[in-house]
Amino acid sequence: MTATQPLLQIRGLRTHFSTESGVAKAVDGLDLDVRPGEVLGLVGESGSGKSVTALSILRLIPDPPGHIAAGEIWFQGRDLLTLSWRDIRRIRGKEISMIFQEPMTSLNPVFTIGRQVMEMILTHEPATSRDQARSRSIQILTEVGIPDPATRMDQYPHELSGGMRQRVMIAIALVLNPSLLIADEPTTALDVTIQAQILDLMLELKARRAGGAILLITHNLAVVAETCDRVAVMYGGKIQEVAPVRDLYRNPLHPYTRGLLASLPRVDGERATRLTTIPGSVPDIHNMPTGCKFSTRCAERFEPCDSIEPPLVEVAPDHLVRCHLHEAPPGTPAHQPASAHDV
Amino acid sequence: MTGYFIRRLLLVVPTFIGITLAVFVVMHFVPGGPIERQLMAYKMAVATEGGAGGGMIGGGAELPPAALEELRRFYGFDKPLHTRYLTWLWNVVRLDLGTSYVYQDPVWEVIRTRFPVSIFLGLTGFLLSYLVCIPLGVLKAIHHHSKFDFLSSFVVFLGYSVPGWALGTALLVLFGGGSFWNVFPLGGFRPSNWELLSIGEKIVGQLHHMFLPVVCYMVGSFATLTILTKNSLLENLGQDYVRTAFAKGLSERRVIFVHSLRNSLIPLATGLGQVFGLVLAGSFLIERVFNIDGMGYLGYTSILQRDYPVALGILVIGSLLMLVGNILSDMIYAAIDPRIRFR
Repeated sequence: MTATQPLLQIRGLRTHFSTESGVAKAVDGLDLDVRPGEVLGLVGESGSGKSVTALSILRLIPDPPGHIAAGEIWFQGRDLLTLSWRDIRRIRGKEISMIFQEPMTSLNPVFTIGRQVMEMILTHEPATSRDQARSRSIQILTEVGIPDPATRMDQYPHELSGGMRQRVMIAIALVLNPSLLIADEPTTALDVTIQAQILDLMLELKARRAGGAILLITHNLAVVAETCDRVAVMYGGKIQEVAPVRDLYRNPLHPYTRGLLASLPRVDGERATRLTTIPGSVPDIHNMPTGCKFSTRCAERFEPCDSIEPPLVEVAPDHLVRCHLHEAPPGTPAHQPASAHDV
Repeated sequence: MTGYFIRRLLLVVPTFIGITLAVFVVMHFVPGGPIERQLMAYKMAVATEGGAGGGMIGGGAELPPAALEELRRFYGFDKPLHTRYLTWLWNVVRLDLGTSYVYQDPVWEVIRTRFPVSIFLGLTGFLLSYLVCIPLGVLKAIHHHSKFDFLSSFVVFLGYSVPGWALGTALLVLFGGGSFWNVFPLGGFRPSNWELLSIGEKIVGQLHHMFLPVVCYMVGSFATLTILTKNSLLENLGQDYVRTAFAKGLSERRVIFVHSLRNSLIPLATGLGQVFGLVLAGSFLIERVFNIDGMGYLGYTSILQRDYPVALGILVIGSLLMLVGNILSDMIYAAIDPRIRFR
């Protein structure tokens, strides 16, 4: 663990959804730190709880059917989950902002681009004059690489391409210099060529802002390798492994992480006839295994896996894993989040 | 887009000719025209006189051929159908709708005297239903599945399933004096001593008389508009741009009333184009129940009495207003939804 205080500390987060067939525990005891200035990748299959985690941070979970059943999310000395709605609104967009997967539908179709960028400024800094807000909006649109921003200000979302709209979303998210940007699959809906541009843009803008961190949610391990400092692998609503990106790729410890990496096509490796896959599929969210969440698909399963859920332990410096194969070295306690406000 | 609307306006001409020609031809073939009615009246008169005088043997009364010819010339039936249509059309173009057979007054005067009734019934009903249904629909959407939602749905659908005239009869029995409460007048459009009243008394008297008829007139229209508002808003609240708006830190009120409602009103606003048509609003049955001499009653009797100029006059005004109203609807649609562009 590094000595610096994390920017965001998630402890024991449980986000549940009431459905007709019972309670779906989309996030079920998640611990995660985001450090100042880092790009943290959160990876996992569809249904692993990545997006729900992201929405939970800003308390954007639609209620009903969802609700945050337990946990703490510490940010700037405050637990976001206990804040009043008024206070959480002040954090949204100003301190922590978010961009989404679908640039085509994430902007309001009946308002101009300019109005939607200016709204962010005027909401959080009401003292700003409209002229100031307008020039700041043009400024940020220029920064995100939108050509002729003054004209674009008066256009509607449907007049822009998907890539341009995602740039606008990034502009809205970053115009107030938030200390954390949560990007939920920001490039999934875009062309491959545009994907790289958008990722580069996010990194470039982050580099210009000291201390700003990015939580990048993706299922694309190639994107993670290119952009992230650390990676958290999520499965069954829990973090299974966290490590700096090089460690994780060179020395994956969790069988699930190894499976994910093995399923990547490699340009430099031997040309296999078929890509490797992880057998089976994600367990039913209403009927999760009692022990290790991955036990139903794990090739290395042994006696305790079915019944006992392994803890998340730090097996090497800054490398945490939740697996019975990797117990903590003798003498080190299981990963205990340093803070007193742990569950 | 201007070109589109000019073309739409030009298309009004052939459409208008088509509508009026069809009605003109149908009227020509419907038995019981004005001449036959005159003949009937003549025979009746002769028979009554004969019965009273006792001198003539009844039943043999025939109009002399010369008189019949005179009648035909008077009504213009001596000319072929197409000549009559063209003459009538030419007169309409010169803003001359002819003279009523029944009232012996210019058709325009006959119709014009009913405008106040229509405007009161139509415009009040129209404004009230928008004023009630939009807020009600919004409330129902916000409190979806609540007791209030179910109860209000029950009430509006109850109104939807009760015919206005049947409700009118019930309301008159209950509130129009008689056995229960004497709250509202039994009928009529205005107090009978209208000329003697002061402005204030006129307003109160008019509202007093129009309350029950307006309720009956619009009771059925609440359900459609309310449920349309509710469903439209519910659908919009689930859209991605709403999540973006919340993530920007906007208040719930702003998200609902500025972002979602603006989008939800698009389908509702198209109905505004028909506001012109309200000067002809009327319902024969409701007017009968409340003893009001309005447009519905005029239209109905003009057809029964074969008062062709009046029936055609109502048709001319009604179809022109409808055609122009449709164009206006499209204009409103294009004005409020930036994605709509007509070519």
